[in-house]
Amino acid sequence: MSLGHSRAADRPFSWRSAAGRITAGAALLTAVAFLPWLSGTDPALTVLRARSADQDPTPAQLTAVREQLGLDEGPFAHLAQWLGGLVRGNAGASWVSGEPVLPQVTTALAVSVTLMLGALAVTAVVAALVCARTLYFGSRRQLRQKRVGVGAAVLAALPKFLLASVLATVCGVWLGWYPSQGWEGPQSMVLPALALGVPSGAMIGGLLDQSLPAAFHEPWARTWRAHGLAPGRIARTALRRALSGVLPQLLPTVVALVGGAVAVEKIFNIPGLGRLSLDAAIAQDLPPLQTATLALILLGVGAGLLIQAARRALLGPALRDGALPVLHPPALPRSRSLPWAMGFCALALLTLVVAGLLRDPLHVDTAARLLPPSAAHPLGTDSLGRDLLARLGHGALRTVGIALAVTAVSALVGLVIGAATQLGAGLTEVVSTLPAVLAGLLTTAVTGPSVLGAACAVCLVAWTPYAAQTAALLEQERASGHMLASLSFGAGPAYLLRHHLLPAVLPAMVRNALLRLPTTVLVLASLGFLGLGEQPPTPEWGRLLSENQPYAELAPWTVLGPATALVLLSVLAISGTATGRGPRRRRTAEAAPA
Amino acid sequence: MRTIPRRLLTALALTPLLAGCFAAGEDGSGTGEGAGDSGRLRVALAVPPVQALSPYSNDATVLSKLSVAEGLTALDKDGAAKPALAKSWTQKNATTWVFELRKATFQDGTDVTAASVVNALDHANKAETKPRVLSDVTLTAKADDADTVTITTKTADPVLPLRLASPALGILAEKAYAADGAVSPVGTGSGPFEITKLTGKTKATLDRYDGYWGGKAKAPGIDVSWISDGTARANALRSGDVDIAEWIPTAQAKLLDADTRHEVPSVRTDSLILNTGSGIFTDASLRATAREAVDGSVLVDSVFGGYADPAQGLFGPAVSWAADQRVAVTGRAKAASAAQVKSGTKGKTLRLATYTNRSELPEAATVLQQQLEKAGFTVKQDVREYTQMEADLLAGKYDALIFSRVTLLDTGDAVAYLASDFTSSGVYNIAGLKDTKVDQAIKAAAEEGDTAKRQQKIMQAEAGILRTDAVVPLVHEQAVQGIAADVEGVLLDPRERSLIDIDTHLK
Repeated sequence: MSLGHSRAADRPFSWRSAAGRITAGAALLTAVAFLPWLSGTDPALTVLRARSADQDPTPAQLTAVREQLGLDEGPFAHLAQWLGGLVRGNAGASWVSGEPVLPQVTTALAVSVTLMLGALAVTAVVAALVCARTLYFGSRRQLRQKRVGVGAAVLAALPKFLLASVLATVCGVWLGWYPSQGWEGPQSMVLPALALGVPSGAMIGGLLDQSLPAAFHEPWARTWRAHGLAPGRIARTALRRALSGVLPQLLPTVVALVGGAVAVEKIFNIPGLGRLSLDAAIAQDLPPLQTATLALILLGVGAGLLIQAARRALLGPALRDGALPVLHPPALPRSRSLPWAMGFCALALLTLVVAGLLRDPLHVDTAARLLPPSAAHPLGTDSLGRDLLARLGHGALRTVGIALAVTAVSALVGLVIGAATQLGAGLTEVVSTLPAVLAGLLTTAVTGPSVLGAACAVCLVAWTPYAAQTAALLEQERASGHMLASLSFGAGPAYLLRHHLLPAVLPAMVRNALLRLPTTVLVLASLGFLGLGEQPPTPEWGRLLSENQPYAELAPWTVLGPATALVLLSVLAISGTATGRGPRRRRTAEAAPA
Repeated sequence: MRTIPRRLLTALALTPLLAGCFAAGEDGSGTGEGAGDSGRLRVALAVPPVQALSPYSNDATVLSKLSVAEGLTALDKDGAAKPALAKSWTQKNATTWVFELRKATFQDGTDVTAASVVNALDHANKAETKPRVLSDVTLTAKADDADTVTITTKTADPVLPLRLASPALGILAEKAYAADGAVSPVGTGSGPFEITKLTGKTKATLDRYDGYWGGKAKAPGIDVSWISDGTARANALRSGDVDIAEWIPTAQAKLLDADTRHEVPSVRTDSLILNTGSGIFTDASLRATAREAVDGSVLVDSVFGGYADPAQGLFGPAVSWAADQRVAVTGRAKAASAAQVKSGTKGKTLRLATYTNRSELPEAATVLQQQLEKAGFTVKQDVREYTQMEADLLAGKYDALIFSRVTLLDTGDAVAYLASDFTSSGVYNIAGLKDTKVDQAIKAAAEEGDTAKRQQKIMQAEAGILRTDAVVPLVHEQAVQGIAADVEGVLLDPRERSLIDIDTHLK
C-alpha cells in the first residue's frame, strides 16, 4: 500500500497495474475452474439434471456423464484444455448441450453490452436531471442551502426488478407503448434500459450533486464569475472537475449490469450474458461459465482503462503536475426542510417497526389472502394471509443490521484495496463486473448455505465501488499542493492518512455507501435460491419484495410496503449524514489551506 | 478540449441505437409484422431448449407439443396407445411385437421405412445417458421388410406400445443423427410441422409440411419463442405478442381474460414426502401425526389460486381411470398426540425441504410449517434451487420434502413412477421406503399385461404405499394454458405432451 505521493500513478500502463489485472483475472478464472469440484455437488448430477429434468440419477447414467465429460481428469486438465483451445479461438463445447460455447457467449455479450449502453444513456440523462439544479444555481453563485438529495435517494432505492415489473405491466401491457418482453429491435430496449438506468442514474447523480458545490466553491469559479464569464462555461468546468471523482463509479454501477442484470433480463426475456452465466453456474456447465467470466473480466479491464483515460482527459495536466487543489465543500446552511424530512422518515420507520413488532409475522391465514390495507391489516396481507406490517416490522432490525454490517465491511475492504493504487486497480476492475450470484456459488462451496455465507458472498463483490472511489479521490489528493507541503515538513504515513487521505475520502464514501444500502438489501435477498441468507419464513425486506413480486399487479400493496420502507431507510440515512456533518464540515473548511 | 464531454455524451447516447445487436430480428418474424394476418401461430413455450431440441433431452416434449416428430405410436385421450407411424401392431409372444408401418415421408423427402425406424431406435439405445424411457428395458428392433419392424425386449414389457409413444423415441430421418451422437430434428421429422430454423435458446420457426400423411395442417406455420419467466409469458399473451402461452403461473392467471384462460388437470401431484430411512420420521406414529396434521386442501384456494384439486391419492383427476378403481387405505399407524410428538422427536427439529423452481412450493412449505407446528413439531425450512439440493435429498438429509412429481412419466404408465420413487431399489426413493409389501405390490403391477388388471394392481400398490405414510399427497396441480380468443383447436393435454396439431389455427 503506498500512501505517500507516488509518481507511478501517472503512468497508467505501468507493469504493476498490468500485473495486478493479470493476477486478479487468473485467480478468478482458476476459482471458477475449480467450482464443480469444490461445490460439493456432483457436476455429473447437475449436468444430467440440466439436460433432462426427469432423468433417473442412476449410478450408470452418472458414470456415463462423467466419462463423456472427462470429469475424472480433474480441474487442471480441464483448465489447460480450455486455455489451449482458447488460443486457437475455440472456447470448447457446453457440457450440457454439446454445442460450441464461443458463439453463444459472444451473442449474449453483444446483447448485454447493447442493453448496458442503453442503460448508460438513461443513467447520463437521470444523473443530469438530478444535478441540474445545483449546476444552474452553482454556476450563478446562488447556492444558498446545502443539498440533501432526497430525490436521488428515493430513485436510487427503487429495486430494479420491481421497476422492471411495473414498466413491463404499465408501458408494455396496459398502454402497449413498447414490447413487454423480447429482444426484437431498438424499441425492445427502452423499458429494460429505463429499469436499469434510472436507479443507476440517481446513484451517480447523487454523488455528483454532492461534489459539485465544492467545485463551485473553488477560487477560480468566483474569479471567472467576477470576470463575467457565462454561467454555462463555469458549469462545464465545475462538472469536469467533479466528474473525475464520480466517473469510476460507472464501472461497478453500470458496466457491471452486463453480467449482473439477471432479474431484469428474466422479466423482459432478454437473452443476455447474466442469464447465460447463471444457467451455466447452476448446471455447473464449466466451459460457458469460464468463457462468460473471461468476457466479463476483459470487459471490466477494458472499461476500467477507458474510464481512466477519460478521467485523465478531464483533469489533464493538473493531475500530472500535482497542481490540483482539494475539493472542499462550502459551509452552507442546512435546508430548513431537512429536519422535517428526516423527522418524518424516522418517525414513519419507528412507527412501522413498533407497530409491526406487536403483531405476529408468521401467522398464516389462507382465508385472509391478499387483503388490501384495512384497519385489521394496515398494510394489507400477502399471498398467505400474513400481515405485511408485522413482517416489515420484524424484518427491519435483521435486514438493516446485516445490510449495514455488509456495507461497513465492504467499505473498509474497498478503502484498503483502493489505497493500494497499482495492484488494487486491477483487482477492482476484475471483480467489478463479477455477478453476485457467481460469488454466492463460490462462497457456498466454502461456507455452506447460511446467513454468514450470504454476507460473505456480497462482501466479496460489493467493495468495488468503494475501492474505485477511494482510488480516484486519493489520486487527486496525492496530486494536491498541500500534500506536498506536509511531506516536505516531514509528515509520516500515519499523519498523512489521518489528516489528508481519510478526510478526503470518507465523506464521499459514506454517502456512496448509504446510497447503495437498499441495493445491498436486495442483493443479499437475491442469493436466497442458493440457500444463502435467512431461510423462509423469516421476514426480511429483500425477501418480502422478491416473494411478493409475482403479485405486484394483482395486489400492489404487497410490494408497495417493503419498497416504501427501503426508500424511507435510504432517505433517512442520506439526510442523517447531511445533518450530522454540518458543523464539523465548517471547521475543516475553515482550517483547510486554500 | 472542453467540447470533449459533449461529444462523448452524444456518442454514448447514440451507441445503443447504432450497435443494434438484437438477437432474432433477422427475418422480421417478430411482433410488428401482424403475424395474425398470415395465420401463423405464435407460441410462447416455457422451457428453453437445452440440447438444440435433441429428443434425448428435456427438449423432446417440444417435438411432440408442436407436432414435429412422431413415434411408432401415440397416446389417446385416455392414455392408451393409438397408431402413429405404425398403422397397426400385434404381440407375437411376451417379448416380441410386430409393427406395420404406414406410408409416410420425412420432411427431408425420404420415405419412412423399417430401416429408418430401426436406425432411430438403435440411436436411442446407444445414446450417452440413455433416455429415461429406455432405462428399465432393453429392446432390439429388426426390419422384416420395407414396412414391417419386429421389436423384441429382453424381458416381458407389457407397456411397449405406450413406451414407443414417448417423444424421446420419435423417429427422425437418417440425416438427423450425426456421427458424434448429436441429434437434430431440424427438417428431419415426419409430423405436420417442420422446424426450419432454430435461433439459440430464444426462437424457432416452423413451417407446414405439406407431405404429411395425415393431410395438410390448417396453420401455415408456427413461430416459437421461449420465455422462461412466467410473468413475462403472461405479459406476452396479454399484450398480443403471442397467441398461445403455456403454463401461466397461478399468481398471473387471474390477470388473464376469462376467455383466454384454460385450465387442464395435470398429471403432476404435489405431495409431502416423509423420510422413513433416517431422522424423526422413522417412527411410524410420527408419520401418522404428520399425515393427520397436514391438510393439502387449504392450499388449493390459497397458494394455487384455485388451480389445483385436493389430493385423492397419488393419482389425480388427470389419470382418468384412477378414481373409479381407488382402493381404501387400511392398517395405517395410529397418530401420536402432541405430547407424544414432543417426547418422540426428542427435541429434534423437523427439517422441511422444498425448492424454488416451482413458485408455489415455497408458499406451500410455509402453510405446512404452521400445520405441523400445531401438531407439536418444531419445523425448520430449507428452500433452495432444486439442483442445489438434489444430492442432499437423495442422501436422505431432510425429514420431509414438498415435492412436485409427474405421476405418469414418459412411458405414460404409472408403474414407472411408483417403481423409481417407492421400491427399495428405486433410484428416486427420497422417502427411503423399504417395505417388502410395497415392493411386491409394485412388482405385481409391473408384470401385469392386461390393461384393466394392471390398473387395479396399480391402485392396490397406491393404497399399499399410502398405508406406510411415506408420502402424504397434498394437491393435484392444474396447468393454466393461455390461449388467445381467436385460436381454435389447441390441445389441452394433462401429460403436457401435445399442444398444437393439424387442426390448430387462427379463426
